[in-house]
Order: sequence, then structure tokens, then C-alpha cells
Amino acid sequence: MILFLQSLLSGVLIGGVYALIGIGLTLIFGVMRVINFAHGELVMLGMYATWVLFVQLGWDPYLSILAVAPLLFVWGALLQVAVVNRALNALPQNQILLTIGLGLVMSNAVMLGFTSDYRILSTSYSSSSFELGGLSVSYPLLMSFLVTAAVTVALSLFLLRTDTGQAIRATAQDRLAAQLMGIDVRRMSVLAFGLGAALAGVAGALVAPTYYIYPQVGGAFTLRAFVIVVLGGMGSVMGAILAGVLIGVTESLAAVYVASGLKELVVYVLFLVVLLVKPSGLLGKSRA
Amino acid sequence: MAATSVRPAARAALRCAPAALAIVLLALFPIFVTKPYPIGIGVSLFLAVLVGSAWNILGGYAGQYSVGHAAYFGVGAYTAVMLFERLHVPPWFGLPAAMLAAVLVGVVIGTITFRLRGPYFVLASIAVAEIIRLAALHFRGFTNGAEGFVVAGAPTLHLLGLELSLGTKRSFYWLTLALAVGAVLVSRAVRRARLGYLLLAIREDQDAAHSLGIGLAWNKNLALALSAALTGLAGAVFAGYTRFIDPNTVFSLTEVSVRMVLICLLGGIGTVHGPIIGAVLLVLLEAVLVTPRGLVTIGLLPSDSALVAFVGKWLSPAYLLVEGVIMVLLILFAPEGVAGLLRRVRARRRETAAAAPSPAP
Amino acid sequence: MALLEIRHLSKFFGGLAANADVSFSVEQGEIVGLIGPNGAGKTTLFDCVTGFHRPDRGEIRFRDVRLNGKPPEKICKLGLARTWHKVKPLARLSVLENVMVGAFARTRDPEAARAEALEQLRVVGLLPRAAQAAGGLPIGERKKLEVARVLATRPTLVLLDEVMGGLNPTESDEVIELVLALRAAGLTFVVIEHDMRAIMRISDRVVVLNSGEKLAEGTPAQVVENREVVAAYLGEAP
Repeated sequence: MILFLQSLLSGVLIGGVYALIGIGLTLIFGVMRVINFAHGELVMLGMYATWVLFVQLGWDPYLSILAVAPLLFVWGALLQVAVVNRALNALPQNQILLTIGLGLVMSNAVMLGFTSDYRILSTSYSSSSFELGGLSVSYPLLMSFLVTAAVTVALSLFLLRTDTGQAIRATAQDRLAAQLMGIDVRRMSVLAFGLGAALAGVAGALVAPTYYIYPQVGGAFTLRAFVIVVLGGMGSVMGAILAGVLIGVTESLAAVYVASGLKELVVYVLFLVVLLVKPSGLLGKSRA
Repeated sequence: MAATSVRPAARAALRCAPAALAIVLLALFPIFVTKPYPIGIGVSLFLAVLVGSAWNILGGYAGQYSVGHAAYFGVGAYTAVMLFERLHVPPWFGLPAAMLAAVLVGVVIGTITFRLRGPYFVLASIAVAEIIRLAALHFRGFTNGAEGFVVAGAPTLHLLGLELSLGTKRSFYWLTLALAVGAVLVSRAVRRARLGYLLLAIREDQDAAHSLGIGLAWNKNLALALSAALTGLAGAVFAGYTRFIDPNTVFSLTEVSVRMVLICLLGGIGTVHGPIIGAVLLVLLEAVLVTPRGLVTIGLLPSDSALVAFVGKWLSPAYLLVEGVIMVLLILFAPEGVAGLLRRVRARRRETAAAAPSPAP
Repeated sequence: MALLEIRHLSKFFGGLAANADVSFSVEQGEIVGLIGPNGAGKTTLFDCVTGFHRPDRGEIRFRDVRLNGKPPEKICKLGLARTWHKVKPLARLSVLENVMVGAFARTRDPEAARAEALEQLRVVGLLPRAAQAAGGLPIGERKKLEVARVLATRPTLVLLDEVMGGLNPTESDEVIELVLALRAAGLTFVVIEHDMRAIMRISDRVVVLNSGEKLAEGTPAQVVENREVVAAYLGEAP
């Protein structure tokens, strides 16, 4: 029972970070209808940025979020303007190939700069934990969960309360109508891509103390992000949060009760089942 | 009467002549050139034509962009190698077995994923291939896990009184050349037959195709079966050629699945000759990027070439960076590949020719 | 025995009835007009008959074969074909290849399909366009292409979904002549059309749908006299 609760807890905590990655992807999809296959690579860039700041300047990973988020925002916005925006009218399959290509560029550019060696960002608290009601709570996981929660609340307030946030939501709901209402949809697309990239970067910073950092690490995050977004319903922020936590828990339980080497496999199988049974996701409307 | 019926036949023969000549020259090549490097490039090229044509039948004709073809490649490779290593089944039974296994896996995957459209299908195809890769890594008792297999012996193929040793690069050169030619002929036959038209119709508009009497699931699965069989065959031959397989090589998302798409994208998705053009360009590019030393061994570059040193230091470890850039540029500026570019140039030339003032009588 | 029998057909989307208890039949050699305001359920009815939607209630029989639950390709091969309200040209194929795809419903031989396609292109007057890409055709010719493609499947009953919408009067007249000529050659039609002038000219009988229900049925003259029909079109209470 303790084992179950323990893995449930770790699953929820890591699921928070997954949710952050998923929210970024779903935001980009919602506004642009483009599926970003390079999303995990943005997480990877966030991890490397955090690692560099830690090694070179001795910045704490949680502090470096303040630099990593704007950095990734600018990078994402740049990608949108320079590349993705040019392919908005391409076939959806071609858009996928485009972002796969972008992912290859990012991961291999990093490999050129930093080699393919595994990097470890070990802080004083990387493996520290404390006891809570008989369960051990990992300090970095808890921190990342709290940061995730704060970021998510801030993002929700931004989307719901500010004019710009509402314009983004309007664009996501109906691009043409938003345009007719005088919303600058191009600007909203740039913003959405930047925000999505920034969220991925934050997630990268949050997982940096507990993950191996290497150029190809993004792939696994990309696939997880898709599972989350499809599970939560394409374009739904609330769905991404729920699905992120669900995936975290599934992985965590699968690692304990199936086999640690099979936790990702279990997630992909779950993904296929959802695609087939309810392709609109848990919270999405069913498609006629 | 006789003249009119002879002429088209003669014209058709004439059209095939350059291709036939090219195949004969390629077949004679190893007799004159015995250096291992160019022979190896030849094998890579023919395997690339084989997998490109295979992907093109499903992705190009039927429009089902699978980014999970590593599943069939890997299953083909593992089937042939495990039959050989574990049960001592000779490769000439192993190859058809590999094709069959790939088709079986394909039919299962197709039944699951063909209900999905567009991006969902792409996602599912990736997920399925990753599931198989992770399973191959995990179930060590069955697959040897990450260790993979080293293929020990090289059997001799007794065929029509000939003894073909499968141990030499040259025998693989001829084998893969024959398979590549075969794959292109299959692709061409499909394109020209009823099946080809039905697949194109499905690609252009599934509902329209459906309303015109085309069974979607059946025809997509037919295309997938052909595609998977050829890909599985390529995987098995690749395994015999490299003598080593492991899950991260033969089930690789980037180096197998994405590469297959890139071959077709580069040449021209959905055309018979696109995968050939794409394979030539990509294999030459990889030859320069990955093994620049080879250009020295065949005397193309001096051994102290600065280019070789530069490429070896900066580009070889990350040749996928160059391929990623090419992929992005192609989608943005030439989504129909080199074949599409050629078609556009030809059309423009015809237009300017038509617009030019005709000489006064 | 009627060629097509629709009995108590109902189709719901969520809680909304797109078709509610609709019954009518089509006799061999008839041209039946299907009219009604936007959202009356005309296209949904075509979707149900051709297998793209599964009816929730009721029965559809064609040449005494029950169609409920049959997939679209089977229904096409039984000889019941449809055009699309929003035309669906196979954009990157040539006009000829588009029609060949239809012809492949009846033959495996590409040469036979080509001959059949050329014949149907001649019938609708698109022969000069045969080699062009279908995606580049103007709207009027796209509609003709839809018709040629459907004819190439050798149907006995054709459902035409607004093939005259967006056409100029000359083009519209051409299509009317074409439909009448094909009927004379033995084909049967159900025609959805907004252009009342066209409906009056070609229909033997008219079925009126409103909010998913059958409002009226009769000769064109009877239908235009019907107060409920007029009201439905003018949007007033009867």
C-alpha cells in the first residue's frame, strides 16, 4: 500500500511537469492548428540552457527559469516567424515533416555544440527528500510541481483576464472570426508559439536536476506531450493538465507494477487505445 | 495498320532504353571497380531506392504518411537474423519469412491505425514503431535486448548451379541492385494498375473515393502490405550486409522512419522516379557528410584535403543537422521535391516556347 | 416495387433530429426533386442513403436490398451513386483520371476505364479539359466533373446534390438538358436544388423537407401551391 501511494505521489508530482509540456503543445495547436513535433526539443533546449547557467554562472535551476523562459520565448517566436508561419497552409502531413525537421536541426545542433555526452546537473538537493506521513517526498520533484502550479495559474489568469489572453483564446476558437473582429492573428500565433516554447523551456529547467541531459532526450518528451494533448483533447488547457498528471501517474505505476523499462511502452499503448476509442480526448467534444 | 501498332511498341522500348542501359552499367560496375568504398555506396544507394519505393507506395500513392516504417524494417531484420542465428534457417528462406512477418505486423498495425486520419495517423504510426522498439529492448530473453545480434557465418547461396557467397560486398551489391530494380518495377506496376488509381483517389479525398466504390480499409491495407513486405525485405538484407542489428539501429525513428520519408520528399512524393532521385541525392550527401575519408580512398580528394578535415570534424557527428535543414527547406520551398522542381522548370520552358513569336512563313 | 424506398428514416446528431421519420419512394425512370430551406436535412438524407451516416431509425431499400449499415463502396457498386454538395475533385489528378477512378468501380482494366471515362467526359462536355489537373477547374466545370465521375460508375440511381448551385443560367440549362437526356436513356435521379426554376423544369415529383421532417410531396405545381411550403420558405408561421 505504501509502495502504491509512494508511486502515486511521484507520478502526480512528475505529471505536473508533463502537464506544462502538454499545455505548451496544446496552446500552439489551438492557435495555429500546427502539431509541433519539435516540442520535446524545446524542452531539451531548456535543459541545456539551465545546465549551462548552472555550470558557468552557478545559477540555481529554479532561479534560471527567469532567464530560460524569456530565452525560449524569443526562440519560439523566431521559429514561428521564420519557419512555421510560412507553412500554415501546407498539408498537415507536411507541417508534421517540417517540425520533425526542425527537431532534427535543434537536437543535432546541440550535439555539435555539446557532444552527445550525458550531462548531469547535480545540485545539493538533487536527491534529497523529506518524510511526510510515511511517504518520502523528493524535494526537486515537489519544487517543480509547485513551480508548475504557479506557472499554470499565472497562464490561466493571463488567458482569462487580459485582453491579449482573450485574443489568443478567440484565435484558437475561430481564426477567421477572430480576424474579422480585428484581432491580429499573426501576432497571436507568434505569441502562442513563444509561450508554448517558454513553457517547454520552464519544464526543461524543472526536470534538469533529475534527468540525464543529452541532445536526443527531446524525443521521449515529444511523444509524451502528444499523448497528453490527445488524451486531454487537442487545444484544451484544462485537459492537458489532467492528462499530464494522469500520464505521470501511469508511468510511475507502470514502472513499479509492470517493469521500469516498459513505462513508456505502457503510455504509448494507452495513447493508441485513446486514439481509437475517443480520438477527441477525455474532455474534447466528440467529432461528428 | 502494321506500322501504327509497331510504332508505339518501338517507342516504348526506346523510352525504356536509358533505364535499361543504366542498370546494365551499374551491374557491370563492380567488375571494373573493386574498391570497397564505391561498392558500399552502391549497396546503400540500392537499399535507399528499395525503402524509398516501398514507403512511396503507402505514403506517396495512398497519402498515408507513415513515420513508423522502422517497425517493418526492424521486424524484417530481426526475423531473418533470429531465424538464422537461433534456428539455422538459411537466408533464402529467411528473406521471404522476413517479408511475411513484416506484412503480418503491417496488417495488425493497419487495422488499428487506418481508422485514423491525417495527423492522428502519423502519431499512431510513430507510437506503434516506438512500442516495438521498446519491447525489443526490454524482452532480452527473446531479442537479446540492447546487445542485439552479431551475425556470425556467411552462407553460400546455391542458385541455378551458381554459387553466390553472401559474404562479399560485391554479392550484396548485385543482390541489392536486383531488389531495387524489382521494387521500382513493382511501384511502377502499382501506379499504372487499377490499384494505383484507387490509392491516388484515397490520397486526394477519402470521402470522394469512398463514394466512388473504393473500399478504404481494404485498399490501404493492400498498399501497406506491399510497402511493408518490401521494407521488411530491405531490413533483412541490411542485417545480412552489416552483420549486426540492435533495436536502436533497425527500429530508429530518425535513421530509418524519418529517413525513408526524406528520401521520397527529396525526390518527389507520389512519383515512380521520385524515390530514385531522392535516394541518389541523399546517399551521395551522406557519403560526403558521414564518410568523407572515402572520397580520399577513391582518389577524388587529396589525403590532406581541408574539406575532409572540416567535414569530419564538424559535420559527420551531426549529419542529421544537414538533413533536418534540407527537410525544412524542402517543405517550405519545394514540397514536391526535385521531381516537382523539374516538372515546373519544364512547364515554364514550354510556356516560354509557346509565347515566343513563331517565325513568319 | 419502387427503385428506392425510404421508410420512417430518422437520424440524430446529439439531441438534434437531422431527419425525423422521413418516408418517400423513387420509381424507376423518375426525377424526384428534394427541396427545403437550409438545414432541412437534405444532405444528411443523401449521406444516410449512400452509407456515410448510419440511420438511427427506419429503413432504406434500393432494388429491394436493405442499405442500412452497408458501407459506401458497396452501395456505389449496387448502382446508387451521389455527387457532393461541396464538390470533391481529386485535385492533383487530371480530369480524365478523376473519371477513370469512377469507371474502376466496374472494371479492372485501365484501358477499359480510360475508354469509359472519355465517353462520360464527352457526355458532360468536358472532353477538351481531359488532360488538365482537376484542382484548377472553375466551379461550373468541377460540378460537371462530379457528374461525369458518378456516371462512370454506371449507376441506375444518381443523387445530385446541388450540381447547379453557383452556375450561370447557360451552364445551368446545360445541366438540365443533360439530366433530362440521361433520364431518357434510362437513369433515375433524386435532385437537391435551391434553384426553384430548375426544380420545376426537371422534377416529376418534389419532396419538401423542413427541420428534418417531410413537409409535403407532390407534383411541382402542387408543391408551390402548398401554403405550408410557402411559409417554410418565407419563414412565417402557416
